[in-house]
Amino acid sequence: MATRIQFENSSDIGVFSKLTNTYCLTAIQASTNFYSAFESELGDVIPIVHTTIAGTRIVGRMTAGNRHGLLVPSTTTDQELQHLRNSLPDPVAIQRVEERLSALGNVVACNDYIALVHPEIDRETEEIIADVLKVEVFRQTIADNVLVGSYCAISNQGGLVHPKTSIQDQNELSSLLQVPIVAGTVNRGSDVIGAGLVVNDWCAFTGLDTTATEISVIEAAFKLQGQNSSAIIGEMRDSLIDNWA
Amino acid sequence: MSTSGLKAISPVPTAADFLDIVLSKTQRKTPTVIHKNFKISRIRSFYMRKVKFTQDSFDEKLGAILSEFPMLDDLHPFLASLMNVLYDKNHYKLALGQLRTARHLIDHIAKDYVRLLKFGDSLYRCKQLKTAALGRMATVMRRQKDPLAYLEQVRQHISRLPAIDPNTRTLLICGYPNVGKSSFMNKVTRADVDVQPYAFTTKSLFVGHLDYKYLRWQVIDTPGILDHPLEEMNTIEMQSITALAHLKSCILYFMDLSEQCGYTVEAQCKLFHSIKPLFGGKPTILVINKIDVTRLEDLAPENKALVQEIIDKEDVQCVQTSCYSEEGVMQLKNTACDALLAHRVETKLKGNKVDSIVNRIHVSIPTPRDDIERPPFIPDAVKEKRKYDKNDTGGKKLLRDVEAEQGGPGVYSINLKSNYLLANPEWKMDIMPEIMDGKNIADFVDPDIAEKLEALEREEEQLEAEGYYDIDEDMFDSEDEQEAAAMQKSLEHKIQSQSIKKAQKNQARLPRTAGLRTLSELTTSLKKAGYDPSSIQQRAEMLAKVQRAKRKRAEAETDAGMEVDNENVSESDEGDWMDVDGEETPNKRAKGNSGAVIAKHPRAPQSNRQVAGLRDEQQASKAVKLRNLGQRRRNMLAKAGESDRAIRVKMPKHLFAGKRKAGKTDRR
Repeated sequence: MATRIQFENSSDIGVFSKLTNTYCLTAIQASTNFYSAFESELGDVIPIVHTTIAGTRIVGRMTAGNRHGLLVPSTTTDQELQHLRNSLPDPVAIQRVEERLSALGNVVACNDYIALVHPEIDRETEEIIADVLKVEVFRQTIADNVLVGSYCAISNQGGLVHPKTSIQDQNELSSLLQVPIVAGTVNRGSDVIGAGLVVNDWCAFTGLDTTATEISVIEAAFKLQGQNSSAIIGEMRDSLIDNWA
Repeated sequence: MSTSGLKAISPVPTAADFLDIVLSKTQRKTPTVIHKNFKISRIRSFYMRKVKFTQDSFDEKLGAILSEFPMLDDLHPFLASLMNVLYDKNHYKLALGQLRTARHLIDHIAKDYVRLLKFGDSLYRCKQLKTAALGRMATVMRRQKDPLAYLEQVRQHISRLPAIDPNTRTLLICGYPNVGKSSFMNKVTRADVDVQPYAFTTKSLFVGHLDYKYLRWQVIDTPGILDHPLEEMNTIEMQSITALAHLKSCILYFMDLSEQCGYTVEAQCKLFHSIKPLFGGKPTILVINKIDVTRLEDLAPENKALVQEIIDKEDVQCVQTSCYSEEGVMQLKNTACDALLAHRVETKLKGNKVDSIVNRIHVSIPTPRDDIERPPFIPDAVKEKRKYDKNDTGGKKLLRDVEAEQGGPGVYSINLKSNYLLANPEWKMDIMPEIMDGKNIADFVDPDIAEKLEALEREEEQLEAEGYYDIDEDMFDSEDEQEAAAMQKSLEHKIQSQSIKKAQKNQARLPRTAGLRTLSELTTSLKKAGYDPSSIQQRAEMLAKVQRAKRKRAEAETDAGMEVDNENVSESDEGDWMDVDGEETPNKRAKGNSGAVIAKHPRAPQSNRQVAGLRDEQQASKAVKLRNLGQRRRNMLAKAGESDRAIRVKMPKHLFAGKRKAGKTDRR
């Protein structure tokens, strides 16, 4: 199920939220609309946590995480860390990372098994990622962009990458991640997938500008609502060609 | 209108309004005062300016009209020929051409008259020239009455045209009048076209939209066409023909085999053949409508043959529908959309634009690189979750609802702690300090503290059980150790007493009267206790007498002058009067360890500084008077002091507004 939402008139919801299979982080806002949009979908399944990271609202870009853990940058305050620890279930490990590239959400893209990271990330950070998130770590770029977290969104069921990723790169990424990969856009043609889309294994949230075609590609790519990623080359192919070409 | 290529056009005024607008603008925006005594060059330029300004206004307004109306040659062929049909291309171009000529003429008039004005030798002549120039311009404009009225009508009609996008996916419905075209339109879109049981109910193009296969489709309903040569067709039919000719679309040719529409099957087939050339290269579908009345199978053999001929020979699909029973309507929609989509995709795949998106029509399926299973992680709660039901809210209260109840956004403040997952829910709202004794508490958090404490306690118990604490304290081995311990103890005691002393130093002292007891209280209590207080009483009375005498003397001395009395000061420093032992404090200045003189009362002034440097009282009082005199003006002006230079109100309104009357002006 893909839901279209907005954070204070901005469609870049991936900047203000982080969604994994065991928890969800949202930024604190004057109203509770953004939080309740997640709550209505996930309320009784996983904890949804209002938080700031280092006093900022860009929680999605600052953190990296999956079912097993959450990595926060070194600028996170002790109080935020305590709040997160109190709010997240015990099996989720929380770790503060001393990394020069402190926007961890931009430099790390991961599902529960594999993580793609910025090619210039520290060796120690790489080890922390592997230990805390329990993933295999690969240094990668997506369509020649080093910010792998910004230009893709992945779950255990599929992945959506930058629209300019070549077929060869897609095949490489899919054999690394071991999930089907599709190139696409969100938010009416935006190529920053990570900013416009947050996704886990059973639901997705996209920016309000996302078109029906983009939503259908997303649902197929992440196998939501009983869709299958082969639909993109099957039943949806003609519509997509007519829409884009 | 943005998608149709026709932009909104601002209203076109009538010729009379046009003149009013331009001339009143000239009147408003150019200088109006001129005098015959002015220099002639000034008079000339005054009128030249008027003429030029009027010409500019005409130019600007006509230019706006000319640029806003679309050039037929620049439009999409469909829109161009639709406008030709509706407004007559020649007429349209002529009207715009006339306006262009008028603009040109006005330019020329202005140029001529400005030239003439250069030779105007008086105010009167210049004015005559100006009047003539404006009059001729007005005449030219007045002649444009008809083109302007026509263009205004065209503008109004264009603004009411449906927003047809000539390039998008389009289903085009055509056929004889009254065969059920608009009914189908109403069934598949929300356009709500008027449907009536007579011919030519639909007199212009109508547009509706539908969604199919993630895409938006445009459906165009055209007026019915009769089968006669193109030259004889009227405007209504020509709109249909225009759409058929120029739109790349899927054609739905509607037929009514029941002949309820008033046209025979034969005539309908004939019409198909005569407009067939317009269907070239487009997916075409023959729609047999009204099958609730007559189906293709029920038809007389000769008619059936005619229809079958179309189906067989031409490249058309045949779909049977009934808008009345809704049979086959959705099938028709799907067939038509699929056919058009396939056709469009085929054309697009031939182009080179598809190369840029080929990577997006691709799914990379991973080749397994190891044997590790990587299953998705979906909690059971999700799988069991009910399907969304619009009417059933499920009774679940979201934070948004709570917020709305408690005052809405900006008033309600979120409690971040309410969702904490703690071992004991009562801990949720506990306040955790951030900083304590200048230290960040988080730096000292020890996750294993409970275990460590437990280990210590266990050790303690063990020691106790072993009798470790039963042995006496004095267990010193030697005298040296004993001595060292004593030293240590005395040092600690010293440090402690010093710190107490130091701490007391800065504290407020009790007032002397706080612990005061009267002599009678003392004697009674002593008597009660069985002592004889008489000797104590005697001594106390004597001491009191001495004290009183001393105080009186001191008071007398203080009154005498400003000189500070050392003795007086020293008295107040003495302790409780009962302790006074009668000794006089020596009338000497006390000296510190270094020998420096210590003032008895360091803070009391030694002399009256107000009169310092003045000879006597007289001089002092004179100085005071002079000072007050110096401050008088400043006080009168309510200044705060010498440095107050503020000017509260610079120009009081009541003194500066209005005309002067005879009277005082000096306050101004």
